[in-house]
Amino acid sequence: MGDIRQSLLPRDVLSAAKELLYHLDIYICNMVQSGRQPPQVDSKTLDLIEEFILHTPKDRNAPVRRMSALQELQLLEIMCSCFQEQSRETVRQLMFSALFNLQGNQADESRMALLSKLVSMAVAVGRVPILECAAVWLQRTHRLYCVRLVQVLVDDYCSMVPGSGPTLQNIHSASPRFCCQFITAVTTLYDLTSDELTPPLELLQMIVSWIQDDPRLVLITFLNSPLSGSQPISALDVTPLGGLIRWCVKAPLAYRRDRKQAVANGSSDGEPDAARLFSALHLSVLQVLMLLPNILNEKGLFGRLALLQMESVAALTSDLSRLLDQADKHTHAATGDAHAASQLALDRLAQALQVAMASGALLCSREDLRAICSRLPHNNLLQLVLSGPVMYYNNIHTPPLAYSPHAAHSPIPAHAALPTLPAHTPHTPLSSIPASHAQYPAQPFMTGMPFPFRPGH
Amino acid sequence: MSVVFDGSSLKAMQSSHSHTAPTALSAQELSQEIKSFISGVDAVQGRKLSVREHARCAVRLLRSVPACRGAVLEHLRGVYDEHVSAFLHNLEMEGNASSGATSNLEDIIQEVHGVLSEFIRLNPRAWAPLVSTWAVDLLGQLSSKHAGRRVAPHSSSLNELLQLWMSCAATRSLMEAYSQCLAAMLAWCPDACVDALLDTSVKHSPHFDWVVAHIGSAFPGTIISRVLACGLKDFCSHGAKDQGPPVEKGSRVPKIGSVVGILGHLAAHHSDSIRKELLRMFRESLTPSTPLSPTSSSTSWEASPQLRRAAVPFLLQLAAMSPNLFGAVSSELVELLRPPVLLQLQSLLQGLPREELDNMLGLAVHLVSQSPTGGARVLRFLADTATPASVIISGPTPSPNEGVREGCDRLLQMLLLHLHKLVFNRSDGAEVGPFSSASSSSQPQRVIPFLEELRSHVGQLCAETLRLERKRHLWLHQLLCLLSVYGGLSLATETLCQLLTQARNPEELALAWQLHTTLSSCMAGLVPAAAAHCVAQIHTHTLAPRQLRQLLLNLASAIQSQDEERRGAAGAQSSMAVQIGSAVSGHLHDFGPLLLHGDPAVSHAAARLLSCSPLPRTSSPAHLLLLSRAAVSHFFLALQRRGEARRAGRAVGQTGEAVSCSVLLLSRLAAYAPLTLKAILQQLVEGALHKGNAHLFGGQIADMSGAPVTSPAVSPDLGASLLDINCRFGTTVNFSGSVWSVFHAGVIGKGLKARAAPNLPDPPGVIQNIQTLLAVIVQCCSSSSLNGSQSPADPDEPLPINPEAAKVVAVTLVENVCPDVANGELSWPPEEHARTTVERDIHIRRCFEAHPVLFPLLQVVAAGRPALCYCSAVLRGLLATLLSHWEGSREASSTDSPWHLQASSLLVSCMGEGQLLPPVLANVHEAFAHLTPFEVRLLLLAVWEYVRGNGPLPQKFVFSSDKGVFCRDFSRDGDVSRYVAPIHSVLHKNIDRLGHLCWRFQL
Repeated sequence: MGDIRQSLLPRDVLSAAKELLYHLDIYICNMVQSGRQPPQVDSKTLDLIEEFILHTPKDRNAPVRRMSALQELQLLEIMCSCFQEQSRETVRQLMFSALFNLQGNQADESRMALLSKLVSMAVAVGRVPILECAAVWLQRTHRLYCVRLVQVLVDDYCSMVPGSGPTLQNIHSASPRFCCQFITAVTTLYDLTSDELTPPLELLQMIVSWIQDDPRLVLITFLNSPLSGSQPISALDVTPLGGLIRWCVKAPLAYRRDRKQAVANGSSDGEPDAARLFSALHLSVLQVLMLLPNILNEKGLFGRLALLQMESVAALTSDLSRLLDQADKHTHAATGDAHAASQLALDRLAQALQVAMASGALLCSREDLRAICSRLPHNNLLQLVLSGPVMYYNNIHTPPLAYSPHAAHSPIPAHAALPTLPAHTPHTPLSSIPASHAQYPAQPFMTGMPFPFRPGH
Repeated sequence: MSVVFDGSSLKAMQSSHSHTAPTALSAQELSQEIKSFISGVDAVQGRKLSVREHARCAVRLLRSVPACRGAVLEHLRGVYDEHVSAFLHNLEMEGNASSGATSNLEDIIQEVHGVLSEFIRLNPRAWAPLVSTWAVDLLGQLSSKHAGRRVAPHSSSLNELLQLWMSCAATRSLMEAYSQCLAAMLAWCPDACVDALLDTSVKHSPHFDWVVAHIGSAFPGTIISRVLACGLKDFCSHGAKDQGPPVEKGSRVPKIGSVVGILGHLAAHHSDSIRKELLRMFRESLTPSTPLSPTSSSTSWEASPQLRRAAVPFLLQLAAMSPNLFGAVSSELVELLRPPVLLQLQSLLQGLPREELDNMLGLAVHLVSQSPTGGARVLRFLADTATPASVIISGPTPSPNEGVREGCDRLLQMLLLHLHKLVFNRSDGAEVGPFSSASSSSQPQRVIPFLEELRSHVGQLCAETLRLERKRHLWLHQLLCLLSVYGGLSLATETLCQLLTQARNPEELALAWQLHTTLSSCMAGLVPAAAAHCVAQIHTHTLAPRQLRQLLLNLASAIQSQDEERRGAAGAQSSMAVQIGSAVSGHLHDFGPLLLHGDPAVSHAAARLLSCSPLPRTSSPAHLLLLSRAAVSHFFLALQRRGEARRAGRAVGQTGEAVSCSVLLLSRLAAYAPLTLKAILQQLVEGALHKGNAHLFGGQIADMSGAPVTSPAVSPDLGASLLDINCRFGTTVNFSGSVWSVFHAGVIGKGLKARAAPNLPDPPGVIQNIQTLLAVIVQCCSSSSLNGSQSPADPDEPLPINPEAAKVVAVTLVENVCPDVANGELSWPPEEHARTTVERDIHIRRCFEAHPVLFPLLQVVAAGRPALCYCSAVLRGLLATLLSHWEGSREASSTDSPWHLQASSLLVSCMGEGQLLPPVLANVHEAFAHLTPFEVRLLLLAVWEYVRGNGPLPQKFVFSSDKGVFCRDFSRDGDVSRYVAPIHSVLHKNIDRLGHLCWRFQL
């Protein structure tokens, strides 16, 4: 593959890129057909991609070749059709990762730029294969880059071009996987810590409607992906549940902040909408959590796999207590509104915690939970959740002796292969889970298996 | 030149778009659309898209596919470009081509503009940076691409460019869009927006200026400071090699030109903010760098020491290139240069290389010389700062340290040198003469704004120069010279006048001479003009008394220096002094009135000037008379003041000097011409007898009858009513002089008039005054030009009294003492006839009583033989009253009536001196004091008899050329012996007492 460089050099940027794509397609097809394992694109090819598609200068002396925006558009168009026409998913995936997997070099910036445009365009013209590939990319890539990609999409469709929201809405039907990853990334991006990081109303509406229509959407990635060790450490969460819970809990406080500004501006029509939306979202999230025990049981993972990490819950509670402190400080004479909002936030937290623990999404002991929630102000429901015995666990499943993360492994007999892991990574209990999952070969929802969830297939 | 799109149509268009907007485009259709856009071919119908359709397609994509944004904007560049081309082509064709294509594209451009502005409005944060960058870049590209077109004006004429481009829909739309973006972005990140603008401005430098200028006038506050900062950076990177006079260096035009152009354009409406910015830049470049100073947040140049160092040269350069900017800054800059600032400036400049400093110095000098306003302030500042610190003289500002002072010193000297060059090269070798004003009309002289402005400050400059502060006055003097040469005769005259008016001592006055010496080489007629100017000032009363006095004194001392120098000390002032002398002499009559100025100092100064100035060769009688009248009046005034000073116990020096000046003036005037001599003598005598001056000479104010008047308060009302008298007599006949007239001893029936006690307040003063008066009169009489130029053989011997002059005195005397001319003939009647003139005689006597000065005057007259003859009537009258007095006197001795005794003696001795009497008779007065009244009468009778027999006629005198005087040969007259007989009798009678006098009466 490296030998075509000489023939590419004299071409103009666009045709060189085009030709390279063509060669890449053939090369990957050959590779897949030859059955070489693992299918890996060699570094020379990656270099070529960087040189002729991403236009990263190979050495200092080489003149920088740049594409004009028009040429870039043409290239994107070609890529779109290229992926569209390639029928084999494996090839597509390999090609996509060859093009866009981050290499940790200087080409990454232009890679990201091109990828963003490609995905944005794929959303616009409904190129499902590209979206599918992008969903996988979102699973494998560091969350910072995922967030960047999502940011571009949100900017494009929710702020830059008015009236283009419906286009984005369509990704739900086009590619649920991508949609799920998109939600995860969006909830990661918008953590409601500042105005900048508050999701646009349009986006919120979109997400709520997606989940309301189909609560299982948020679990698609979890259901479809092999829980293998290939999951990078800093990748996005498997499900957006954590992010969504955070949204719902923090929303009353964050949006009250917004509402204050809105009142100052004289328009307060957005707030009830947002409140209603978050309320609906909260319900949906609880519903999704309720689905979990069955799914986990099916997979035999109940009590072993924490879809909600203890760390994120801890971060959420500390955030919340900080926000409540602030709210108290800002409104010395705490108005009824403010009180109601904070109680609402605490109620939601309590509900979410309760349901999450009950459904096995959160694995922790009450002592741990109490420690985490100790700084929160009083709330009846929370108090109840923190103190009351959970009777019905026994009906569903043999309760573990304790819900401490250290003890979480005890029901699993064969983990002697990794005896030191918890000690090494006490803060990332999840990281140990996939390792243990490798020992459950018969999982009905692994990749490639038909899954009844997807109605489109 | 704000251009606004038609809002309504735009809105309509937008709304129509939003209705027809392809929101419903399916993914499939979009993909088709993209294909069409890329290929330029309608994907469905397979035909080529027109520019218009293509653009529409692009707009649709812009609205629906975010990823196409870049490509669409890029495509639109082409559309805009096409429109501009068509527009310019149309213009070049003068509109005869069909405008279809243009209008076609124009509406698509409006459409694009509508979409873009809608986007910006909806989401400024996202779109404004994007569109602003795009618009600016495209504007730059368009303007430099089409800069070479025939219709495009040259890049230097910003306004025309602006007009052209704003009339083109494409560029106007871009401009609108950019303005919208900028307005939106100003709130949160103005820097990025403006930086893009300036970066483009740098790239397309001169052609893009119109954009910056336009934007600048819309957003002055933001743009100005950025433009400056940008210019500074560029200036700094170009280094110092481009300094000096701005030279266009081919293609590589430094950005400073653009900066100047832009700011110049903005200066029309925003000069205030520009000035503020410039000054701020200056200030901040000086303040020591504080890494985290809060002010440096807006711009970044303050952070770099290199840039800060370049700021001052940059500002200088900027000012040099744009008079507008310079004018805006110069006025306040000086105010800013306080000592701490100067120190900072110095420490900043110390780091610069030598030649750069020299360049800056040259530039600064150039700027100062070209500055149209505030020159005086700049000058004062420079002089203040450059003047060395001194314990004694402390300037208005505390002196900064030595380095700063030297810098200023150098700057000032360079400035003077530069001005010198400018002034003397001004007319390119053409003669700069006093009369070149005529030629200057044909050849306009180069204007030097600095000097032009200083013209009105000549007075101040002179004042400062005359302060003689160390080096300062040298500089200023030099400057005055230059200014005078520059301003031509009128200014030079004014300068000289100012110096003459303001100088207070010889050292200061010397500056005027120096100025004259310098100027005399290139300017003739300066001194006469200056004199004329001074006179004009006197006439218009523009000078305060002090100044006037100073001016006169200075002129006088100028003229006096001529005398000194004639005595041997030759100097450069010779011609000056001579010229001033002649100039003043031409204006004597103008100075004359000043003798009577209300301020004693002024009149004294005038006297001094007139007394030392040469007299004109010819002069009109009227002027001379006026002058002499003024001089005489001044003389009496001076006497009066001297008396006052004495009485007040003050030093008499000043007033005494005034008197002597006056005396000198009178004698000089008198010597000038017979006319003046006559006038002066006449007026002196009249003046001495005038009731206003009489007291000076011990006189009492006499009424018509010659009797001293009692003050009304003293004399009780006697009830004498003129009306009653008139009614009684029925007529108003004046009987005076006749035998019928009433004696003046009082009203009949009321007793004698109360005689006012004679009060002689100041005997020594009176004596001194009389002495002075006599001295004047004698001097006048003797120095008169009448007696030719004969010089006395013995200089110690006083000159003889001129007979003519004496005659004038005599005649005047008679006129004043004896206004009644009846029986006025010279020859004497018999003694008995004196009865007919009793009243007149009494009047005469009273006159003599009232005015002691008359006797000395008579003596003077007597000395000028034969002038005493003309006093015959007075002598006769006096003698007659004396005779009647002695006749009626019943005293034992003549000494009992002292006045009469003295009068008799004086009278006789005068007559003897005047040779009306032979010596034998004249000597009789020596005996009077030893005789009885009757015997005195006898002797006086003898005198009378002699005079009656030998009439006092002038023709009896003959000129003796050996003595130079007239003499009377008594031998021609009859025998004296018969008149001597009574004398001898009296001698015999009193031989015991008069023995020692016998020899006096030998024939």
